Amino acid sequence: MRVPPKVTQALAVMTLGAATLLTVVVLVFIIAFVLVKGLPGVTWEFLFSAPKDMGKAGGIFPTLVGTALLPLLAISIAMPLGVGTAVYLTEYTRENQLTRALRFGTDCLAGIPSIIFGLFGFIFFVVMLKMGWCLLSGALTLAIMVLPTIIRTSEEAIRSVPNAYREVSFSLGATRWETVLKVVLPNALPGIVTGMILGIGRSIGETAAVIFTAGSSLRMPMTVFDSVRTMSVHFYILAREGISNENAYATAAVLIISVLLINMVAYSMMHRFIAKRSK
Amino acid sequence: MSVSPDIKIAVKNFKVFQGKEEALRGITLDIPANRIIGIIGPSGSGKTTFLRALNRLNDLVSGMHVEGQVLLDGQDIYHPGFDVVALRKRVGMLFALPVALPMSVYENVVYGPRLSGIRKRARLDEIVERSLKAAFLWDEVKDRLQASGLRLSGGQQQRLCLARVLAMEEMEVILLDEPCSGLDPISTAKIEDALTVLKEKYTIILVTNNTKQAARVADDTAFFLLGELVEFGPTKKIFTVPDDKRTNEYVTGRFG
Repeated sequence: MRVPPKVTQALAVMTLGAATLLTVVVLVFIIAFVLVKGLPGVTWEFLFSAPKDMGKAGGIFPTLVGTALLPLLAISIAMPLGVGTAVYLTEYTRENQLTRALRFGTDCLAGIPSIIFGLFGFIFFVVMLKMGWCLLSGALTLAIMVLPTIIRTSEEAIRSVPNAYREVSFSLGATRWETVLKVVLPNALPGIVTGMILGIGRSIGETAAVIFTAGSSLRMPMTVFDSVRTMSVHFYILAREGISNENAYATAAVLIISVLLINMVAYSMMHRFIAKRSK
Repeated sequence: MSVSPDIKIAVKNFKVFQGKEEALRGITLDIPANRIIGIIGPSGSGKTTFLRALNRLNDLVSGMHVEGQVLLDGQDIYHPGFDVVALRKRVGMLFALPVALPMSVYENVVYGPRLSGIRKRARLDEIVERSLKAAFLWDEVKDRLQASGLRLSGGQQQRLCLARVLAMEEMEVILLDEPCSGLDPISTAKIEDALTVLKEKYTIILVTNNTKQAARVADDTAFFLLGELVEFGPTKKIFTVPDDKRTNEYVTGRFG
């Protein structure tokens, strides 16, 4: 017997709707749980004072600074490298053995667990190059870690720029570089920014790769050669060592809100940019 | 009509290979200056390949190589020392589908001039007005030069593309690849009117699937078939008493 289309249609809507609902519910639950547990502990004093007694009391100001600086430094290292690689792969080479190998390599890198990057960063930057646990070691490690994401999203964004734009640019006497600067990159920007946001998100939340390379000092970093503790490392330590569950949740709440804010600002900037171009 | 006009582009036994396939089979053709040359032929005859070879846009296609010569004012544009960027500033192209770049009307027009290093605002303003007037578009867009080029209609966008080519002061030859295939009759008429005026200053090569269009605007017409040039001569002759039987069959609509 054939199931009437009306029934299959209703079933499809229900199944897909249920899947969506479940996803949203789980997400909202996690965020709400952390916020409800953590927000009561978030005060101006908590945000802007130094931790006392290993974080049992006091605030999280140095980790707030660490969380701002580390991803910022990592992204400013990774963006030029990643976008440059993507431009090279898409605009300057034709599909060949080398580009396929490069792409396969970046895909593999993207799938490696972050603790491996942490271990590599520890052995290479911290020990071999004698940089010690510091902001720079951590940022370099994170940069390598987010590079594959940035390369692939930028590549996709650049590929989605219509070829007709390039042909017009070339036919008007532009060089390849001028075409990249004036036509390809501006039109690929929304996609590239998305890659950057993903990269920032991943490095803000990263713990394993950071704890091995940037260390976990609670002092305020003064130079890139000082050790820092990020918020994710901080609440990992607070929870893991049983120092203070209240402060761990409060830190987690601050972290979630910062990530939300960063995404909102980045997307609104992007929309403003797109709106300006198609006005 | 005229006795031995100036030769702008001399094509000598020119072949284009796409991989192993021979897309153009030894074309020899002298293109006189300041005339409209129509190129007609059924699809797959190599018209577009030929056109794109004239400003070396085919260079961007992988697996394509050429033999023979294309001389622009006596200089071989495929000579290794020839500057492709400079070539494209002299030989411009209008594509089948209008492609306005996602920027303002103004910026679209000054794209080429800016690349050539023109910075002065007054100079750019003057270029914009001159080019848009020459493309019969000025009256329609003069009040919204800062609006996005994408907001114009298809016919307006194609004239914007023409203006963009005309904006370049080094421009000598304009290649048009079925520029009216997506346009309504009125927009088509505007482009054709523009071309008839523009030939005083430029050499115009017009690929078209519309034989009537060639009959209307071209001074000379070339008929391509399966990668070969079958016949080239004054448009009147091609459409009334062609030498080749195949030309006659095509222009009278018996195949193609």
